[in-house]
Amino acid sequence: MKLDDDATRTLSMQFDLTHSPAKVWRTLTEPALVARWLLPIIGQPGGHADTLEHRLEPGATFTLQAPAQAGWDGVVRCRYLAIEPKTRISWAWVVGAIDTVVTFTLEATDTGTRLSLEQTGFAPDQGQNLGGARYGWKMMTGKLVELLPTLPEPPKAIR
Amino acid sequence: MQSAATAEDAIFLALADPSRRAIFESLTQGEAGVKDLTARFDISQPAVSQHLAKLRKAGLVKGRRDGRRAFYSVEPAGMQPLVNWIARYRAFWTERIDQLEQLLETIEE
Repeated sequence: MKLDDDATRTLSMQFDLTHSPAKVWRTLTEPALVARWLLPIIGQPGGHADTLEHRLEPGATFTLQAPAQAGWDGVVRCRYLAIEPKTRISWAWVVGAIDTVVTFTLEATDTGTRLSLEQTGFAPDQGQNLGGARYGWKMMTGKLVELLPTLPEPPKAIR
Repeated sequence: MQSAATAEDAIFLALADPSRRAIFESLTQGEAGVKDLTARFDISQPAVSQHLAKLRKAGLVKGRRDGRRAFYSVEPAGMQPLVNWIARYRAFWTERIDQLEQLLETIEE
């Protein structure tokens, strides 16, 4: 496993897995398997916990349930954005007002599969908070985050 | 992700408004008074004050008083929740991919 050193920028990680891309692909696309390593998938409205199958196509949605905690119900809303069988899959990953895209890329290697994971930017058709989210992300991954701690303190009030 | 999304939400929502973004960006150039900001933007003074109050609530700016005048500046630590956010996700994915590797051992092609 290799971590990207550039930890303060966009999130990008690579993992060398000793299993074939076909097998890794299954764990990324079969809901029952996704639930076993990532997070539990919760039923769609009107659905049942044992009928979590969703269409594997852009636009299809699913919901992950992380442990709830103060200030957050633990819900991650997901929507497929791009699917290239056994090569690449990306989905919108929405938590509260923060709207990101998670992309997995699979590459066959001599020993198995190189799995690249990226969490970046924002889906193209987000809701009302897009402006703030996009801007927040830009600051978070851009120069402003580095700049802010270096700003001088303002002069103290003259009393 | 293993922590409340509230602080990040507050930052994103505070910056969702273009006027507030403009005011915030302006303050990254240095401290400014409410009157200066009102002159800089085509917004009324009460509106500027309201925007500043929301930015302050989100932890992005801080204010000080000098007699009857109020001055605002960027809060350098304000963006820290977003930096933490990346670190938390890094830890989250590392842990999950470990689980993925264990799962791969147990399933068929």
